[in-house]
This record gives sequence, C-alpha cells and structure tokens, in this order.
Amino acid sequence: MRGKILHAIGLTAIVVFTLFPFVWMVMASFKTQSDILASPPVWFFTPTLQNYVDIFADTKVSGAIVNSLIVATLSTLLSVVLGTPAAFALARYDFRGKSDLWFWFISNRMTSPIVLALPVYLLAMYANLLDTHLVLILIYLTFNIPIVVWIVTDQFKSIPPDLEQAARLDGADQFTIFRKIYLPLGAPGIAVSAIFSFIFSWNELLYALVLTRRNVQTAPVVATSFMSGYELPWGKIMATGTVIVLPVTIFALIVSRHMVRGLTMGATK
Amino acid sequence: MTFLRLDNIKKNYGDASVIKGVSFAASKGEFVVFVGPSGCGKSTLLRMIAGLEDVSEGQLYIDGRDVTYEEPAKREVSMVFQSYALYPHMNVFENMAFGLRMAKRPEAEIRAQVMEAARILQLEALLERKPRALSGGQRQRVAIGRSIVRHPKLFLFDEPLSNLDAELRSQMRVEIAKLHRSLGATMVYVTHDQVEAMTLADRIVVLRAGLVEQIGSPTELYDKPANTFVAGFIGSPKMNFISAKVSSVSGTGLRLDHPAFAGGSLGVDTPAAARAKVGDTVTVGLRPEHLTVGAADPVLSLTLDFAESLGGSTQLYARQSTSGTPGEPVIALTPGRPELKPGDALKLGIAPGHIYLFNAAGLAL
Repeated sequence: MRGKILHAIGLTAIVVFTLFPFVWMVMASFKTQSDILASPPVWFFTPTLQNYVDIFADTKVSGAIVNSLIVATLSTLLSVVLGTPAAFALARYDFRGKSDLWFWFISNRMTSPIVLALPVYLLAMYANLLDTHLVLILIYLTFNIPIVVWIVTDQFKSIPPDLEQAARLDGADQFTIFRKIYLPLGAPGIAVSAIFSFIFSWNELLYALVLTRRNVQTAPVVATSFMSGYELPWGKIMATGTVIVLPVTIFALIVSRHMVRGLTMGATK
Repeated sequence: MTFLRLDNIKKNYGDASVIKGVSFAASKGEFVVFVGPSGCGKSTLLRMIAGLEDVSEGQLYIDGRDVTYEEPAKREVSMVFQSYALYPHMNVFENMAFGLRMAKRPEAEIRAQVMEAARILQLEALLERKPRALSGGQRQRVAIGRSIVRHPKLFLFDEPLSNLDAELRSQMRVEIAKLHRSLGATMVYVTHDQVEAMTLADRIVVLRAGLVEQIGSPTELYDKPANTFVAGFIGSPKMNFISAKVSSVSGTGLRLDHPAFAGGSLGVDTPAAARAKVGDTVTVGLRPEHLTVGAADPVLSLTLDFAESLGGSTQLYARQSTSGTPGEPVIALTPGRPELKPGDALKLGIAPGHIYLFNAAGLAL
C-alpha cells in the first residue's frame, strides 16, 4: 500500500514536471502582456485571443507552418524510404565493412551540429541552395536516416529468420520478402523512427536559422523572430509555440496506433 | 526409380566440416527419415536439400535434375519448419495462399487449392484467424497446409513435432503418416526421436557427426544394426552392451567370458565365429525387451537394483552379482509385475537369435 502511494506521488511529480512548461505556454498564449509579466504570476485571468489574431494577421506564421510541414514530411518520408532497405541489409546480410558502416551511422549523431553549421552554410551557398526546402530536407536526412537505420535494424533483427526462409521456399524474391514480411512486421519500429524523425525535423532550429532567409523560414525560426532588440512579445511567441506543437502531437497520435507490441507473436512456437 | 539423390554431399563452415560426404538415394513416394543425436548434421542436410544452405561439395538431384546450385523456389520442394515459421501478420488462408500468390496463379485456383488443403487438415473453421490465435497443433497443421497447397515434388520436415506435447505429438504423427499415404509424395523427415523414425519411415538414415552410420528400413535397423551406435540408437529402452572376452572358438561356436554371464561365460552359435579368435574383445548386445525373467537356462546372472512398474510391464535395472567393478547396469523390460525386490538375484534368459555381436571397433560381427 505504501509502495503504491509512493509510486503515485512519484508519477504525479514526473507528470507535473514535464507538463508544467507546456501548460504555462498554452496559458501564456491566452494572456495579455501585462498578465504574463505580472509578479506574482496570475493564475486566474480573462483569456484573450488577441495573440492568435496577431500572429495570423500576417502570413509569416502560417507560411512558416506550411514550410515546416513540407520539410518535416518529406524528410521523414525519405528517411523511411531510404533507411528501411539499409536496415534490412544490416539486419540480414553479412558483407564486408558491415560493422564499419554500422559505426558510421552511429557516429553521424556524435558530431555537435554547430560544428558543421558553417561548412554546411558554405556548401549550401556555393550550391545555390540557401533558402530552399531542399537544403533543409537534405540536412535533416543526415540526422533522420541514422535514427531510422538504428531503430529499424533492431526491429528487423527480432523477426525470426525462419520466416524469410519459408518465404524463399514459397518463391518470394528479396524485394518481396522485404515488402511483404519485413515492412509489415517491422511497422512498430518504423513508426517509432518516423515519429522521431518528424519531431526532430519539425523542431530543428539551428540549421533552419542558418540556411533560410525569408522564403523558407520554418516555424521555430519564426517563433524566435518575434524577439527584437526592443521588446519580447511573450504572448505572440507562446501562441506561435502552441500552434507549432499541435501538428506534431496529432502526427504522433496517428502513428502510435501502429506501435502495437507483440506483432511477431504467433510466428513461431 | 531414384527420385532424390545425394551424391557425396559435403558441408563446411570455414575449417569446420559439418557434413562429411553423404550419399543416398530415395525413390518416388518414399518416406525417408534422417535420425541422429543433436549436432549430427541432419537438419543441415535437410536445409541443403531445400536450398537454404549452400552445398560445399557434391551433387544433389531431384527428379533427375541437378539442383545443386538451384534457387530454393525452383526446386519445387516445400518445408515444414520446427518453429512452423507462419507469417504472423497474415491469416491462415493467406499463409497457405502465399506460395501460390508468388507463383501468380489465378485467384480461383488459389482459392480452390487452399480450400482443398484446409479440408484435408480440418482447418476450414480457422481460415480467418491469425497464427497467434491458434493452438500449437493448429499452427502445425497450417504449416503442413502451406506446404501441401503447392503440390511440391518433395516434402521436407524439420523436426515438426518437437514443439508439441506428447499426446498431440503422437496424434500428429498418425496424421503425417496418413497424409503421406493419401498424397503418395516423397517426404524427407528429420527427427532426433527414434520412435518417430521407426513409426513413420519407409527407410531410415542414421547420421552421426556428419556421416551416415546406416541406411535401412526400420526393421532392418532393429534386427541388423551395422554397429553399436545404431544398435544403441534404435530401440527403447536402449540396448544393453556387455564387453566380453573370447575364450574359445569352435566351428560356428564362440565362448565369451564376462562375470555377468550365468556361470561366467556365454556360448553363442554364429557364422561370424570364424572371424573371431581367442582373446578378442567382443561387445555383446542384448535388447531389454528380449530378456526374459525366470528362463530355464539363463544367460545372465545379476542382482536387481530396482524395478519400475509401468503398469502393464516392468522395467528392471540390474547389476553384476560378483563384487568388483559394477559395470554398466543391465536393463530388462518384462511383461507383468514380477515379484522381485532390490537385492534379489535376477536370472535373465534370451532367445538365441536375439544376441547381437560387435567387434572391438563396434562393427557388427
């Protein structure tokens, strides 16, 4: 009984801790600037939609959300399309340099992004790709493909090899085995890696800030752009933040339906 | 007519040699069982026939065609895996239809073939279920169903019953035997269970450490084992072995000395006597079920260690009466429930035709 109470207290603490910033952001987005800056903080206030009216008054925020959607969706899609066959090869075949390739995928995430910001900026400039969707999609692929390869390789490895051999005897070629056996059975891992990829691409700020100017600014860039030297319009920033969080939440909810555990149960004894 | 032929098949993994040259032929419609202890290479051999393992050396023929380097799908074989290997995301119908779909057969034909297999295996009520909603025996049936829908030339079974409980196992054994009779197809079946081998096989291939020990019908292996390994492997409980010394040879008669024998020696009448000489070590093999309690002229004089009643019969464990090294216990299987208690003297007789003799190298004399 005591353990249960402690358990509940611990869980509540974690939930409050993680949700508080989120709640604060949503609350602030409905406050006036003076309510936001009030000290002590105001818990009960007259909500206003003025911040939302302001941010949608010009097309900057809505345009940025469209940009973010294009970049995040395409880079997620591409990283799944390119990453899953790579994961299949790493999970099921032995070839020379396999462990080196594996390490290369991992090491991609070891470099701090800021280290590469300047070289990437110069490359993009020379390639005439600054301020395009393409450059962001390409950069995000370098982050997302390793995520997909990691998670999905592990998922594919857990599929019993007997299934593949049964399919070979049934006359399936490699591509069919990949499509009909591995993709459906790897769906939970693919869904998880897609969520990670999407969230990463959606929230990424550094490269979006460095590589875009006016046309392709993504939502996080626009949210920070409200900060000027003269004022900090917290209401607008928080309203933009709330609007930014919505699509990721919806995407995660849709995809998580596929994260069914134990999908491979029943294949073998 | 030879349907399946293995010609000096070898398999190496790097320096390790797993199959060391297996030659063997099966005719059409034959039920062949590969049997042997774990690690003898029987599953590897089966997977080489299926094409799931490369053949390192030698040739493999199915229906007169050299398929040594052929793709698995083009060999027209089907295989039932030990793990069943059902596709977990497909229902029973789709599991069985998968191979036909791969072969791009028309939908009507697929339906007809799957329904036919489902009828034979009594799976009609389960066609919409996913494998995880099936019991072990039902999964087993689906795995067999998947293998019969394509009408393959050759059926391969890799220890298909080892995941089932004892009752289901004997039930499925009968079903597989029936299936073989009704399809008339050539089947190769791998097991480590000698009871499955004895009951199912037309012919048994006994394997040990990558080599064939003996090939023959179940009764041949039982009556004329080529060596002590086969003699010990086939039959349950295991054959008793007594290592004796030849004390005299006369025409077709041999006299063998061992303290376990009644009177210290045993006379055997055998045409093989000519090949033995005084002083040779000969292994005498006696099957537990051939030993009789209370025979008029006993061959073994032992002391009972303990008795296990199996209800209808009794299994007796006995040791040499004389002091000194106790040696291997001798097991006898006798009908009924003899009135014996541990420590009693046990005289065991045997019919003359049931004594097996092996030379020092373990080969039948």
